[in-house]
Amino acid sequence: MSDQSQDKTHPNKSRRSFLSGGVAVAGGVAASALGARAAVAATPDPLITEIQEWNQVLGDGVDAAPYGVPSEFEADVVRRDVPWLTADPISSINFTPIHQLDGIITPNGLCFERHHGGVAQIDPADHRLMINGLVDNPLVFTMQDLMRFPRENHVYFLECAANSGMEWRGSQLNGCQFTHGMVHNVMYTGIPLKLLLQEAGLKPNAAWLLPEGADASGMTRSVPLDKALDDCLVAFKMNGEALRPEQGYPIRLVVPGWEGNMWIKWLRRIEVGDQPWHHREETSKYTDLLANGKARRFTWAMDVKSVITSPSPQMPITHGRGHTVLTGLAWSGHGRIKRVDVSLDGGRNWQTARLDGPSLSKSLHRFYHEFNWDGSEMYLQSRAIDELGNVQPTKNELRAARGENSIYHNNGIQTWQVRTDGETENVEIS
Amino acid sequence: MSKSLKLFGAVAGLLIVTGVPSFAQDVDAGKKVFRKCASCHAVGDNAKNKVGPQLNDVFGRTAGSLDGFKYSKSMKAAGADGLVWNDETVGKYLEKPKAYIKGTKMSFAGLKKDKDVENVIAYLKSFSGEATEEAEKPDNAAANEEKKPQTKVAAAPVADAPMADHGTYHLGRPALPEEIAAWDIDIRPDGQGLPAGSGTVARGGELFDEQCAVCHGSFGEGEGRWPVLAGGQGTLTDDRPVKTIGSYWPYLSTVFDYVKRAMPFGNAQSLSDDDVYALTAYLLYLNDIVTDEDFELSSDNFTEVRLPNEANFIDDNRQDEPQYAAGLEPCMSNCMPEPAKVTMHARVLDVTPEGEEDEGGAGAID
Repeated sequence: MSDQSQDKTHPNKSRRSFLSGGVAVAGGVAASALGARAAVAATPDPLITEIQEWNQVLGDGVDAAPYGVPSEFEADVVRRDVPWLTADPISSINFTPIHQLDGIITPNGLCFERHHGGVAQIDPADHRLMINGLVDNPLVFTMQDLMRFPRENHVYFLECAANSGMEWRGSQLNGCQFTHGMVHNVMYTGIPLKLLLQEAGLKPNAAWLLPEGADASGMTRSVPLDKALDDCLVAFKMNGEALRPEQGYPIRLVVPGWEGNMWIKWLRRIEVGDQPWHHREETSKYTDLLANGKARRFTWAMDVKSVITSPSPQMPITHGRGHTVLTGLAWSGHGRIKRVDVSLDGGRNWQTARLDGPSLSKSLHRFYHEFNWDGSEMYLQSRAIDELGNVQPTKNELRAARGENSIYHNNGIQTWQVRTDGETENVEIS
Repeated sequence: MSKSLKLFGAVAGLLIVTGVPSFAQDVDAGKKVFRKCASCHAVGDNAKNKVGPQLNDVFGRTAGSLDGFKYSKSMKAAGADGLVWNDETVGKYLEKPKAYIKGTKMSFAGLKKDKDVENVIAYLKSFSGEATEEAEKPDNAAANEEKKPQTKVAAAPVADAPMADHGTYHLGRPALPEEIAAWDIDIRPDGQGLPAGSGTVARGGELFDEQCAVCHGSFGEGEGRWPVLAGGQGTLTDDRPVKTIGSYWPYLSTVFDYVKRAMPFGNAQSLSDDDVYALTAYLLYLNDIVTDEDFELSSDNFTEVRLPNEANFIDDNRQDEPQYAAGLEPCMSNCMPEPAKVTMHARVLDVTPEGEEDEGGAGAID
């Protein structure tokens, strides 16, 4: 437990030790007879022939950890931040360690964070949700009121529009945690927003919503009413337990498939109006500047995207030649993922990967490609296709269409170079 | 925040009762001066580290020693060399922070008036050591008791309240006009939501120097990676566009709304409506959109002001881009004539965080 908290305070340190740890492991593999390449053991393995401490001495009882934490050997599986990205760590972002996760669900404590005024700590007894504006009855709900509405459960990805935003000008950050880690995927329990709006009664000219957060940034975004009536939720649980404070406890807005900034955390008010508000996060920020000086606004949907999470720069191949598992994530804000292709030669030739696990609309999908690595250099790429037929573009196609100053909505194909020693790097190729 | 104000009230009250009015006055004056610091520093009940460390019990504390705050190396070194915060050291630091601790992260120019320094010291001392302990005693408890019923009046749902007649589930209660007025502070480009009030460029300049320049720079040029607010006109097609209120933002209402709801950073909603009008006017001035220092922005002339880049925003047309054209079948084999060649390595830039000495890369987000 103390290891965990220490890692949270010194994420960089933990990464450094992780990297050096990785090297030590690789060295050990080469030097000892325990590696995957050793088909025959030269000497008996003492881990088998000698009685180990954990095999003899009693461990903790059931009262040791009322709220369980991961094994101490998983202490490197943490969110990390990139200090130079922002002016300070309060209005800032950290990244999900997607390179170390599998399946499609992100554990609550590893979901990336993006705050504009730090994490608000709100006692649910002190929280109110107001609906006002173009409604018949402006209402105030307590948490107790909200718990009496019908609920639904849905798994959705949340991706920051700036995910991969640092890569527009070329490969910059060396690890998919940093290039693609502004994404998470959890099961939400929440109230369909439609029911809350109907409870207040929408006026005929209602067309837009302004959800607002209770944090020190008072976050606001304009959301078109059609989306709200379609699939938005006011969520209070993630993966079965209460939202984490950093995810908006006690309630947040869920806007499936659309950019994460709209998923207002610490939701305290929804105003109904007849036109958008053009607030800071939809004008100054979260608008996409094009090469011709025009800027797109209201670019809400997150386009089809995928990334290979292993091998990747933080997950080099350490076992040498032979059978290996390539895995990654794919998602689309337009629906389900229909297919993922992978290339080992930088996009010259492609093979269709195996999708595994639940295939849910606007959720992460897991793909695998198992193969025998012959030890030669590889350029790994993945390319997702969604159920509407959108094909994940190359980075150069995006640059040709938009220039290099869009910051947001970079869903281009990622290339990892795997060298003959298994070391892996973020590269661009032609 | 209300708690810290309560505590402050309790402190001031106690001091008056015990008959040290001059000190109380210093504390009061210091509290006003401290507004310059409050964007970055919290003090009082439940104060947390913000951009700067929280300042409870700062007197007697070794410099750079607060757990959980990431100090500059120089501040830590000063602490290791024995620097302890007291009247003299705090005074020198507040006068010229960067001269006293070379390399401090605190991007504050310093307090020019000795009186301001003394008053801030008096104010901070009221949250340090014995002063705080005294304040915790009966007066504070009384303040808490007074406060609780107030919050609970609105909070406690009446168990056997009559069934509401709205909606399908009859849940929630009508929002009162005062409640809507308290929370509904948003502003739209057409002026909906603008409160009555006004402020001049000159007044805005004073406020900006006091409350904003520490992060945004004296001319809105931005300190460090804090947002640049002025300049950049004509750069949107450059390799490195500078996106400011004058060069990029489409609507002035966005400035008013954002400043009112979220600024100054760490002390949100502390500005009066007139202050926000004045600051908005000053930001127009910094961006050469108004040139007269006597210009007064008000609820009457607000919507007449247009920002230069308004026409350059277009709606989302990503689906019209060639890569999303319908019916494209992706190539599966021999898709490139030549084997792939590396054109760029992330390691060359070397901006991935691995240690504490990382330098910045390009393309920061904010």
